[in-house]
Amino acid sequence: MLSLQHISKYYQAGGNKNYVINDISLDVDEGEFVSIMGPSGSGKSTLLNIIGMLDEPSEGYHYFVNEAVHQLKEKKRAALYKQYIGFVFQAYHLIDELTVYENIETPLIYQDVKGSERKAMVADMLDRFQIVGKKDLFPAQLSGGQQQLVGIARALIAKPKLILADEPTGNLNSKQGEEIMELFSKLNKEDGVTIIQVTHSEKNAEYGSRIINLLDGRIESSRKF
Amino acid sequence: MIRNYLKTAWRNLLQNKTTSLISIVGLAIGICCFLLLTTYLINELRYDRFNENAGRIVRLTYSYQSPDDVAATHTALTPTAPVPVFKQEIADVEDGVRIYNYTDGRPAAVEYGDKLFSESKMLVADQSFFNIFSFKFIKGNPANALVDPSSVVITASTAKKYFGDDDPIGKILKVNQTNNLMVSGVIEDVPAYSQIKFDLMGNYAIMPRSKNLKWDSANDYSYLLLKPGMPVAEVQKKIDAFVKNRFSGEGQTNHIWYTLEPLTRVHLHSDTADNLDPSGNITYIYILAVVAVILLVLACVNFLNLVTAKSAERAKEIGVRKVMGAQRIQLFIQFLTEAGIITLCSILLGVFLAYLCFPAFSTFCGQLVSFDTWRTSWLISGTVILFVLVTLLAGTYPSLYLSAFKPAATLKGKVSGYAGGNALRKSLVVFQFVVSVFFIISTIIAVNQLQYIQNLNTGMNRDQVMVLDIGGMPFNKIMAFKNELIQQPGVSGVTATYDSPVNVQGGYSINSVEDKNSDFSLSVTAVPVERSFVKTMGIKILQGRNLDLSDEQQVLTDDYEKRKYGFILNETAVKALGWKPQQAIGKRIGLNGRMGFIKAVVRDFNFTSLHEKITPIVIFPQYDWFGKLLVKTNGKNTANTIKQIQASWHTFYPDIPVNFHFLDEEFNEMYKNDQRTGDILKAFTIVTIFISCLGLFGLAVFSTKQRVKEIGIRKVLGAGVFNIVGLISADFLKLVIVAVIISSPLAWYAMSRWLQDFAYRVSIQWWVFASAAGMVVIIAFITVGYQSIRAALSNPVKSLRSE
Repeated sequence: MLSLQHISKYYQAGGNKNYVINDISLDVDEGEFVSIMGPSGSGKSTLLNIIGMLDEPSEGYHYFVNEAVHQLKEKKRAALYKQYIGFVFQAYHLIDELTVYENIETPLIYQDVKGSERKAMVADMLDRFQIVGKKDLFPAQLSGGQQQLVGIARALIAKPKLILADEPTGNLNSKQGEEIMELFSKLNKEDGVTIIQVTHSEKNAEYGSRIINLLDGRIESSRKF
Repeated sequence: MIRNYLKTAWRNLLQNKTTSLISIVGLAIGICCFLLLTTYLINELRYDRFNENAGRIVRLTYSYQSPDDVAATHTALTPTAPVPVFKQEIADVEDGVRIYNYTDGRPAAVEYGDKLFSESKMLVADQSFFNIFSFKFIKGNPANALVDPSSVVITASTAKKYFGDDDPIGKILKVNQTNNLMVSGVIEDVPAYSQIKFDLMGNYAIMPRSKNLKWDSANDYSYLLLKPGMPVAEVQKKIDAFVKNRFSGEGQTNHIWYTLEPLTRVHLHSDTADNLDPSGNITYIYILAVVAVILLVLACVNFLNLVTAKSAERAKEIGVRKVMGAQRIQLFIQFLTEAGIITLCSILLGVFLAYLCFPAFSTFCGQLVSFDTWRTSWLISGTVILFVLVTLLAGTYPSLYLSAFKPAATLKGKVSGYAGGNALRKSLVVFQFVVSVFFIISTIIAVNQLQYIQNLNTGMNRDQVMVLDIGGMPFNKIMAFKNELIQQPGVSGVTATYDSPVNVQGGYSINSVEDKNSDFSLSVTAVPVERSFVKTMGIKILQGRNLDLSDEQQVLTDDYEKRKYGFILNETAVKALGWKPQQAIGKRIGLNGRMGFIKAVVRDFNFTSLHEKITPIVIFPQYDWFGKLLVKTNGKNTANTIKQIQASWHTFYPDIPVNFHFLDEEFNEMYKNDQRTGDILKAFTIVTIFISCLGLFGLAVFSTKQRVKEIGIRKVLGAGVFNIVGLISADFLKLVIVAVIISSPLAWYAMSRWLQDFAYRVSIQWWVFASAAGMVVIIAFITVGYQSIRAALSNPVKSLRSE
């Protein structure tokens, strides 16, 4: 599904290059559930941002569903991730001024989905996550776990092939975290959604089918189950 | 999609009530001022254009220069001859009209039945008047309304006043007990934007001066109607040639000429004296137009600043939207929509405010302005253009700025934007304060100047002097009335003059001067007075003696040739004649044929506006015609004194309403325009300060938010509240100081120009700039202070945790 080859990301600091990602090569197949681990500053989030095309690598080649991302124009790239990628964040990042319903609907608006179709899709999603009763509430009126559910619903609404999750349970208590991870696992197994998550938690990492450990911008180890 | 935009925009508006309110109110005030000013400008620019012949009508002005005059005199007043003569002699002139201000000297007493009113706006004109100018007739026919010499055309409100709902046509109005005038037409009230304003219009033929054509005695306003398609310059050439031919040879020493002014240029472009209608000034029009735009831009700047100030709060939303696939253009449109909503609210509020302000503003600028000034189609398209313009002006930058946020950074809470945008925002605040400081300095100087004028020793004592209009009343009766008044307890002196002593108009010339060539001629101002004038007005005699009974007897002798006048000259006049005051006494001079001797030299006093330097003036006794009776009261129990004077008036003149005012009021009235400039400056100062403070407040909010972490760290490291407040305030005070530095020379230059118009003026002192700076620094500090104190008092644990 995606392939990174000799990807590096560095910042120029004086005469030195300060590497955040240092020559990483990585292939992820469709249907995988990858957990990226590593201590603070090891480059986990940067790697995830590069995969999600929110950030650009300084060097290297990046292929996504057979497109050479490093050669694409901004607009094409946006179109690509609009179509294939859903994001889930540690801080949920719901839009405070929109209701649950509207938050989930927003990606569809940007993908020019028709109004009636949007309605059906959002209703379906609310149903699936059992938050129909909360659709008119604003994010501030929900608990953290509920917000993250909405976040995931929003990420899934456009039927992405790949979900990128940056510490999705970081702000949740262990019970809520477990529920979210169960959900990911189910999505991966039943719907065949590819998932790449960044996590600090060994336990959460083990939901994945592969664990990649990063240290100082390099892959230290990679285990498949 | 647009629905989604509107929804977020609306919710954002509600969520940030304070900032939204500030944005909307600030912008609304800007829009309100803009509307008021543009309405006023439209009113000024459409002056006289309602006349169908506006393009063909020209006003004739008269200029003359005697050989010994330093400069020529330009006046809007013309003699009786030019109009009929030019009409006859110059083929390009289709028609012409002479207008005489019947109520210039004093209001006319107009009677109908038991109704007696004092009318101050009556003109008389040649019968062609209503053919040349377009006034709307409700009753009567413009073509023949003034054909009968005893006809009078009145305005609708005048008709209402005298006749109620009765038909006014054919009714007789008795004017000044002598003229019985028959109403021959009723017109709609004269619009405020006409240079010829009147309530009653009689026939010129009732004036004795209409009987003969003269080339001197300039007292009429003359207008010519040119044949269609005739360029003014062509006609001017022909008139120049005619006048030159007419006045060459036959011992003509005076240089005279006539100038044609297109009707539509008179109000804003004419610089002649004695206009029928106080003229506007095209420079002011330009200035006001610039001010209108600046106020609008100031308000937009503000809005722009406040939106970017809130950007930190919006950053996350922008990031999320981008990650969810929003393109930059979509976000741009979203933010522009928000700007549009704010603008719409502001325009609605601004229009409403303008609607409320129009009556007050009308009094303020001395003419009726309202939304009626606009054509409906203009108003609507104007509002739409304003909406688009303000939305783009206020919305484009913030929208570009916000939509450019990088999602990866904003989602991590790192709001970029301390770099470029900040410099822009700061310059905008500086710009706002440059404008504010400019107005503060200008206002201080203007107020100073106006006070200076009011308190200036003009060499004449205006205090407690009542002025009664007595124009044209028989001399004997005036003297009897005078003698009666002087007996009254509150009255300390009574005298009579031709002109009001604060605004002497009469143009004369001195000739037949002892020790000078026979062709010597010096243009002077002169005023016929009753003999106690100098004493009553407190004018100081430097040499010689005041006029006495013998002078009075001299000018009362019937044989005009044998009269020997006693003249009183001011220092400037004596100097112009080349004498010292003591040399002048007893010298023989002539004043337009009146022969006599210099009896006294008085210290210079201001007898016209303080815009003018003191020029030569001659005070002389002449008991033919007095316009004003001056009653000096002792200032004790003035109300009672006024009552007594009124009572005496009624026994002397039962048929004439009493018209009086105080000399001080008249003096102040002369500076009404300047006073108005001062008032306008004051209003602009308040508005600009207010708008600028909103902007500064916005920037303070923005900046303290950005520096929350820095402040937290400083507090943890031991900084006190005082340090933090100082830290933040210093930043803004720097901006304000920069504004003061930029603004001071601009204001200095502009106000120096303004002061040039006054012959008597204050010098601009350094403290003006210092106090303006002090004022604006204090205001800015109060604005920023709240924000910085709040930041300084905030708990560092809270601000540092968010990282």
